[in-house]
Amino acid sequence: MNDLTPAIEVSGVRKAFGQVTALDGVDLSVAPGSLTALLGPNGAGKTTLVRIIATLSRADEGRVRVLGFDVAAQPKQVRARIGLTGQFAGLDDGLSGRDNLILIGRLAGLRRRQAVERAGELAATFGLTDATNRLVRTYSGGMRRRLDLAASLMARPALLVLDEPTTGLDPASRQQLWTELGALRAAGTTMLLTTQYLEEADRFADFVYVLNHGTVVASGTAAQLKGTGSLDEAFLALTREGAI
Amino acid sequence: MTIAIATEAPTAAIRLRAVRDSGLIAGRNLRVLRKNPGRMLYPLVQPLILLVMQVSVFGNLALAGHASGTVGMSYREFLIPGIIIQNAALTAPTTGLALLRDAGSGLADRFRSLPVSRAAVLAGRLGSDAVVFTVQAMLLLLVAAPLGFRVHTGLPGMLAITGVTVVFGLSVAVLSAWLALLINDAETAERTLYFPAIAIAFISSAFVPVGYLAGWMQPIARVNPVTGAAAVIRSMATGGGLAVPLLELACWGVFLFLVPGFLAARRWQSQN
Repeated sequence: MNDLTPAIEVSGVRKAFGQVTALDGVDLSVAPGSLTALLGPNGAGKTTLVRIIATLSRADEGRVRVLGFDVAAQPKQVRARIGLTGQFAGLDDGLSGRDNLILIGRLAGLRRRQAVERAGELAATFGLTDATNRLVRTYSGGMRRRLDLAASLMARPALLVLDEPTTGLDPASRQQLWTELGALRAAGTTMLLTTQYLEEADRFADFVYVLNHGTVVASGTAAQLKGTGSLDEAFLALTREGAI
Repeated sequence: MTIAIATEAPTAAIRLRAVRDSGLIAGRNLRVLRKNPGRMLYPLVQPLILLVMQVSVFGNLALAGHASGTVGMSYREFLIPGIIIQNAALTAPTTGLALLRDAGSGLADRFRSLPVSRAAVLAGRLGSDAVVFTVQAMLLLLVAAPLGFRVHTGLPGMLAITGVTVVFGLSVAVLSAWLALLINDAETAERTLYFPAIAIAFISSAFVPVGYLAGWMQPIARVNPVTGAAAVIRSMATGGGLAVPLLELACWGVFLFLVPGFLAARRWQSQN
């Protein structure tokens, strides 16, 4: 993959669950080093698309390439290069934060010593050093999210996929998480983010796709989508019933 | 720190990696048990309570000599192998429930998003459950001794009984994993998976010889793997003939590992 190759290329992706069409011919592209936001109302197909990109689900039709690898034909190569933070923190409540990080690091391919060192670094980065030996079930929602994000970063992924990472967090925790995501972005990590908080897309995303009823109904920078109004107004106009 | 990521690994390396990943998952499961001792109550303490209660309530029934297969054996010596196998059957559903718990918590997605062998999650779960079944069987044998269960074949017999219990428990655990993934709902699975375990324990020679069961139960009990497993343990304890019951049990073990094992692995991989 060269510098101009998109980090994510989605072409004509369709996915149905029985009679329900979740994705109906989605095309999108994510530039390397960018933060791209995927906006859409509940049921728009955001999570389905994220799951296909993260190799957790297969598209019925179409093609998805991540960092130059086809997700259907080369899932292991994709998995070795991405980090995923899903809607539910993928952590073991019965283990300490440190044990979770080390386990995920080792499963990602790190040697034990590397995993221990990296867990310590990330615990410090995310302000979890004091809590690292506590069982995760004693963590607050914000701490769990930060630990989940730290876990996604154990193997230094080239692409971070964030599915509504700030949902359910209080404003202070959201702000803290965004500070940490900002640092990652500055370090050159490509990020794909789904969110229902329009102000997050407005403030942080380089590029925005709006998804509704399984299709991309608009794309551009937040400024382009807003026009002379607000992103809220643009979003509501694009996703209201009958808008497409 | 630099992290090397292999893109094309040869088959042997892939297999080695799968074994390593399975070991990591098994280690994680055991660590969770160690850090949460309450989770050991069901697999390790409840079986002991059941053993003591069942032997205390039923143990004095004078069955010896009343049916073929129990001649020369006290009822306690007949009953306790059945209780050991019953407990393995009742512990096995925890395998399926644990898989569903991981799926519900998002942890299964985390594992699936990593470059981990997909078989490793199932294999790791079975690996840690093998340790639980081993400890459970050894504890039961330890407590069964003062209750009247003598292993006449000594330490080799005890080890063999433990091995048979573990293999039987894992076979039913594989079945429970498949059923749990088929049900795909933790609450429903929790209320459902114990029924077959209870049924196979009772419709068998675990507690009474097959001839003492209701007529409709007898054909089922004769082919029930619980009957075979209990018979193998009785023979191992007394030094009796092993060939036929062991062959029957081996056939069941292979069938349960292969068929539900294949179906569970396929179900796990296709949950997308």
